Amino acid sequence: MLSRLALSNIKNRLRDYIVLLTGLVMSSAIFYMFANLATNESFIKSNTTFRFAVPVFYFGEVLLVIITLVYVMYANSFLLNMRLHDYGLFMMLGAKKRRVGTLMVFETLVVGAIATAIGLLLGIGLTGGLSKLLFSHLGIALHHFNPFYFKAVLTTIVLYLVLFIIAAIFNLQSLIRTPVLKLLKQNDTVNKIKAHGIGLYFAGIFGVILIGIGYYALAQIATFQLTSIPIALVTIVLGSYLIFHSSMILIIERLKKSNWARRKLNNFTLSQIMFRVQDYTKILTITSLLFALALGAITVGSAFNRQIDSLAKSNSSYTIAINNPTAKEQGLIEQLSDRTVVKYDQKFSGNHVIYNEDQFAQHPYKIVETTQSKSGTMNTYKNVPVSVSKLKKEVSSQFDFVSLGGSVLDTAPKFYATNDFNKINAKKGSVSLITVKSIAENRTVLEKLNHLQLKAYPTMDETGIGAGTFPAFLMISGIYGGLEFIGYFLGIAFLAMLASCLMFKILSGTQQDRIRYNLLTKVGTRRSLLNQSINREIFVLFALPGILGIIDVLFGLQMFKSFFNNNPYQNIQYPIIIFVVLYLLYYFLTTWLYKLIVLPKKK
Amino acid sequence: MINQPIVSVSGLRKTYGGKNEKQYEALKGIDFNVEQGEFVGIMGASGSGKTTLLNMLATLDQPTSGKVMINSQDVTTLKGDKIADFRANEIGFIFQDFNLLETLTAEENIALPLSLQGVKKSAINQAVTAVAETLSIQDLLKKYPTELSGGQKQRVAAARGIVHKPALLLGDEPTGALDSNSARELLELLTDINQKQNVSVLLVTHDPFSASFCNRILFIKDGVIGQEIRRNGVSRTEFYQDILEKLGTFEQ
Repeated sequence: MLSRLALSNIKNRLRDYIVLLTGLVMSSAIFYMFANLATNESFIKSNTTFRFAVPVFYFGEVLLVIITLVYVMYANSFLLNMRLHDYGLFMMLGAKKRRVGTLMVFETLVVGAIATAIGLLLGIGLTGGLSKLLFSHLGIALHHFNPFYFKAVLTTIVLYLVLFIIAAIFNLQSLIRTPVLKLLKQNDTVNKIKAHGIGLYFAGIFGVILIGIGYYALAQIATFQLTSIPIALVTIVLGSYLIFHSSMILIIERLKKSNWARRKLNNFTLSQIMFRVQDYTKILTITSLLFALALGAITVGSAFNRQIDSLAKSNSSYTIAINNPTAKEQGLIEQLSDRTVVKYDQKFSGNHVIYNEDQFAQHPYKIVETTQSKSGTMNTYKNVPVSVSKLKKEVSSQFDFVSLGGSVLDTAPKFYATNDFNKINAKKGSVSLITVKSIAENRTVLEKLNHLQLKAYPTMDETGIGAGTFPAFLMISGIYGGLEFIGYFLGIAFLAMLASCLMFKILSGTQQDRIRYNLLTKVGTRRSLLNQSINREIFVLFALPGILGIIDVLFGLQMFKSFFNNNPYQNIQYPIIIFVVLYLLYYFLTTWLYKLIVLPKKK
Repeated sequence: MINQPIVSVSGLRKTYGGKNEKQYEALKGIDFNVEQGEFVGIMGASGSGKTTLLNMLATLDQPTSGKVMINSQDVTTLKGDKIADFRANEIGFIFQDFNLLETLTAEENIALPLSLQGVKKSAINQAVTAVAETLSIQDLLKKYPTELSGGQKQRVAAARGIVHKPALLLGDEPTGALDSNSARELLELLTDINQKQNVSVLLVTHDPFSASFCNRILFIKDGVIGQEIRRNGVSRTEFYQDILEKLGTFEQ
């Protein structure tokens, strides 16, 4: 009988259940995405460069489990709030507490099972879609990566099972402890804000100092080494908590006294935010940290991408060398944009390669010169021409020049003047040095050229890479592209997690808010005003951790200053833009769901 | 203009239930007027249709047919924002369960209707102070609803109901959740508001004691107005006896 009541209740409150399920499905889908990477040992082991990232994964996993726990707890309190009254009613009608308790555990587990199942399917889909998108964007292929990975599926199921059992036990505890009357008459008490002016100022200042210490520790990571990370973690968490707590109350108190507050619903909106911030300070702090982690992961990931270009440029002065271009290769060369081509004649006698030195006088060979910036953190690479004498003495024995021989690798090539060169009777050949401005633009054509050359002159293959920046580019992007992939993947997963976390917290308060908005409608508030008030309120709740998170990242990147020898802040706007867009999508989803629950139906 | 009734209801019907559902007629043709400055009570048992009638008057629900004129305006034809504005400007509410916003202080709750109308801050403060003085709740202004007793909450709600000088104050069992002392105080307050501020009051109740504070009482039963009695200057205790007597025969 009771289970039939439970079922009919789901039917009646389908809207609330849809919200609950959506949130849980998102959470399990995201967890699966992460677990897919983290638990896939053969994937991590096969990509040598990922090995050092293993601790990152463990750390991420622990963090994600904690967040998921918090998340499931929120979801659960949402469910419990929704059902408390009914449970009270059942008991009043004479149902035993044990019976109602069983029903509740059953309900919690069923909701959890459905959410996990749908979430897994969605997670597999998301992993497939996102990885495909990233692979094509980064131009890399990773082996042993598969959207469906059994171990990850198992991990997700086990974790969610455990979490929901914990949640059910918590529910049971609060059900047993609460008297029936209280269940029936859910208290709508609101804690009064204790605004101790001076105390708040003090807390705020203390928070700023703490955050300052945290940022300093990160910036000076070279001196403090690994200890700076725990220092920063503790100080930043505590500092941002205090800042949220004090600054919001002070700002809102100030705003409430202004003329603006007395217009339309502004005062109501401010009060809502105030009560929320009180209640939300903890979650907002977690959210801002997650935001920082997510944005940090993406920023570092894309910083790796920029490394690819500059590292490749340090390797050689030209993009690719083509030995004896065939008509087909010539055609491909014509397709390259912004190119310069320098052609040198060659003669091959035995194991020796012979060049015409007059050609090098006319079109000097160039080498890469590295200059370090004053701070020692930024390297710039410049291509400088070398004189024929220097070429003969030093440069001609360097790998970059030696590999121009194609299949004949001669570490001591000979140079003759035009007349003597022409007299030599040996196999003729030529090498064209091609430089393009942008490798990325010409990538496909360059790949074809590289492929044709490797086939025609297999020696290059043995050395692993041919001469020029392009082969180096291919190798480095293989390494760093993987890191970038992880950065983006983790970043997006973290972001989705934090936004759903925030969304849930906001939605779990809707039961009380529904009454408030209903009342406002009764006393004659235009619907547009209600909409506006909700939009603003939720916007502030989203914006706060976002802004603090961005500031966290800007300082946190200091940590990577020594790691990236170029500027870690370069192009930071792109990950931030990607981020803000994703974040906004969540904002719109949340306001939409919120209004769906809270606003009375239109007449 | 003076003779224009503040509320004029004619041929009001309300049927619940869709085309394929069982039809239930809650109001079966109601006609009555409330004159400017009157204190009218509507009495009836549960299910008599008094709440439905109140919802129509409050523009919270649309009638199936008939007309409701409030302050010479046909409210049944209003839609969307117009309804909201009408409520904000012309009607004050007092509900049984107070319906105060617990996130706002008493003062802010009272100021809400004026804020909605876009009144300037100085004017709002002035009006709030004035109404708080009338209702003797100056000391409560800075408190949150959770810190107030039931009677105090209802005073604050009454202040919110009249702060914007509405044409009509609607009370839906306003004493329903109060103890007898608080209930008496509130009703005396409403009488005061009615007489001194000249606000027309319409009270829906099933409690004869509350009703005895009115000038005129309409008895509603099964969706029609059955009887009507007027106080005609007799004392409140006598009127109370009249009501009890009428109820005795009316509900038979």
